[in-house]
Amino acid sequence: MNPTLVAFVRKELLQSLRDVRMRAVIFVLPVVQLTLFGLALSTEVRNIRLATDFSPLDVLSRRVAEACLATGWFVPAARGAGDPFHWVRAGGADAGMVSPRGGLARAVERGPATLQLLVDATNTIRARSIEVYFKTVLGGVLRETSPGPARASPVLLEPRVLYNPSMRTAVFLVPGVLSMILCVVTVILTSMSMAREKEMGTFETLVSAPLSNTEILLGKTLPYVLLGVADAVIVLTVAVFGFRVPMQGPVWQVLLAAVVFVFSTVAAGTLISTVARNQQQAMMGSFLFLFPAMLLSGIMFPLENMPRALGWIAYLNPLKYFVVLMRNIMLKGGDAWVVGGNLLELAALGMVLSWLAARRFHQTLN
Amino acid sequence: MDAFRWDRALSIARKEVRHIRRDPFTLAAGLGIPVLLVLFFGFVMDFDVRDIRLLVQDADRSRASRELLELFRASGHFDARSADPVADPAALLAREKAKAVLVIPPGFGRDRDRGVPARAQVLLDGADNSTAGVILSYVAGIQQAAARRGAGADAAEPVEVRTRFLFNPELNSRWFVVPGLAAVVIGLLAVLLTALTVAREWENGSMELLLSTPVRPLEILVGKLAPYVALGMGGVLLVYLTARFVFDVPFEGSHALFFSASFLFLGAALGQGLLISVTTRQQPLAMQLGIVTGLLPSLLLSGFVFPIESMPLFFRALTALLPVRWYMTVTRGIFLRGAGPADLWVPLTVLTAMSLALSALALKKFKTDLEP
Repeated sequence: MNPTLVAFVRKELLQSLRDVRMRAVIFVLPVVQLTLFGLALSTEVRNIRLATDFSPLDVLSRRVAEACLATGWFVPAARGAGDPFHWVRAGGADAGMVSPRGGLARAVERGPATLQLLVDATNTIRARSIEVYFKTVLGGVLRETSPGPARASPVLLEPRVLYNPSMRTAVFLVPGVLSMILCVVTVILTSMSMAREKEMGTFETLVSAPLSNTEILLGKTLPYVLLGVADAVIVLTVAVFGFRVPMQGPVWQVLLAAVVFVFSTVAAGTLISTVARNQQQAMMGSFLFLFPAMLLSGIMFPLENMPRALGWIAYLNPLKYFVVLMRNIMLKGGDAWVVGGNLLELAALGMVLSWLAARRFHQTLN
Repeated sequence: MDAFRWDRALSIARKEVRHIRRDPFTLAAGLGIPVLLVLFFGFVMDFDVRDIRLLVQDADRSRASRELLELFRASGHFDARSADPVADPAALLAREKAKAVLVIPPGFGRDRDRGVPARAQVLLDGADNSTAGVILSYVAGIQQAAARRGAGADAAEPVEVRTRFLFNPELNSRWFVVPGLAAVVIGLLAVLLTALTVAREWENGSMELLLSTPVRPLEILVGKLAPYVALGMGGVLLVYLTARFVFDVPFEGSHALFFSASFLFLGAALGQGLLISVTTRQQPLAMQLGIVTGLLPSLLLSGFVFPIESMPLFFRALTALLPVRWYMTVTRGIFLRGAGPADLWVPLTVLTAMSLALSALALKKFKTDLEP
């Protein structure tokens, strides 16, 4: 082992870990954030405030409303005055059910009845789910109350959610969120360190020291790869033991993926820091890398939907590959083709990024 | 000590403007980047899952199974392809070949013709949070269609639900995404821009210089914030124009209300950045905290994508600490619902209180630091 390099790496590690607050940012904050997001986030649509408008004698409508509340998806909205449109408009309710005048049951006897459902569609995802939930509940009530022998549907579709049968939110989100957190910490640490030396003027001292360019570059990046991998181990431990996210695949695959991922994000951070002239630019650069990376990770919205002309941009995102890897290995047990393919693509991306960073770095030095 | 003087605050502001002008990056960050990000993500973000890859393992190959398949195709959500009926469906999902597998067992058609409920399984990829829920709701829709078809043409539904989607009748994802995205982007940039200003002065040692002049702490902070407020309002205006004229998002509310709410929000976000800046005094740490307290929470906890209504009570209360969560309510309310001051008094009051409290806190922290 090159003793100069070892000493350099040690100096960098000491420098980043010297400050108590910095240690907290590196080791404690990721755990706090994972816990916070893991407990708070949910993709499920719940607590839909339902306002109803039917006459006190309308028993069928009351049954529908009660069945809605019984599912746990809906909660009653405070009953507003006037037109149901205004309850939803004023933001007091997410949905309003308006029964026909004279009662729903009588309307059904007379022929096909119409039941109006008003939905606040400012949130389109939620609006769509509200409609589906409501129709499902209504269908159940009508089957129960319809006269004569209950006519079962001739075809029954049985949906089964594999890998997460009870739809636990933590299982859905923790592998993705831990990837996001890891990405943020490594990119910021790396991009700031070199920019700081440049701004303080200590970079010149470093260059004049008896070190080769490669040694400087390695000395400036290796410590962050080490810190990043240590962070990965910490957050993975919390995910598996704290959130009981299953670890179906081999642990070595997860660790290998983490190493390759951290390598690629450190390369991205280094590239940012070689381009930036001061810390403020390094920070903006990191933001410009991280913000799209988060949104294009496949966690916020399905990437399959992206328009073809812009879809290729998602393939430049290391985070996208890592999220696929974590989910595939941890939840699905790791399919050799998927894991191998994504690891290779991630590694290739990391190589390109580090090649660009190294080239920029040598240019700055000369 | 003498009283607050505007001319001294103004000269600090002038100095800050010079900093901004010397570094074109900051100007770009304040004006260009918000528009670029809103443009790009406004185009690509779409929550409707179209053309879901569905593999069909049809072991029955009857008229009934073809009819079921036809229902999936007719829904317009699925890109159905047939797969080897003997392969393990779970292995197909693990290989990321599809998001869902429809398994039709042998005897499906025979059961249906005999009047026994014919069962078919739909296996979903539960590792992907962004699609699993949506696919489940599509499957529920197909189930309803199948039940209707089975009941025959004569038996119409006893009750027809007529849904009216208020404020966004066509469920256009963009109308939902763009106002929220604007709130997130503007808030983040405001925090980042200010987080470094004071920290930079401490680190360069120029803060001591500034303090030895007769300028008072409050004047320094006001002078440092004012240019960023102006820059931020410029960003808001550009983002507003993009939303209106590029994405055709309707604007039902009042402009005065929108821009005053934006002003309050910028005050809160800049105050947050300033607080980080005076507390840390070190740029790397200021940046870590700026991004850590800014980026992930404002993406995940603001209600931008993940609904606040579905969070456990404690965390719903916790999101109240985020200025962007309140501003998001305001932007979505004003843009789409045409909400007025009467509907929005809660978020507006909170934003006012936050911008005052955060700035006061920053000032207090700044002052105590100065005393020997």
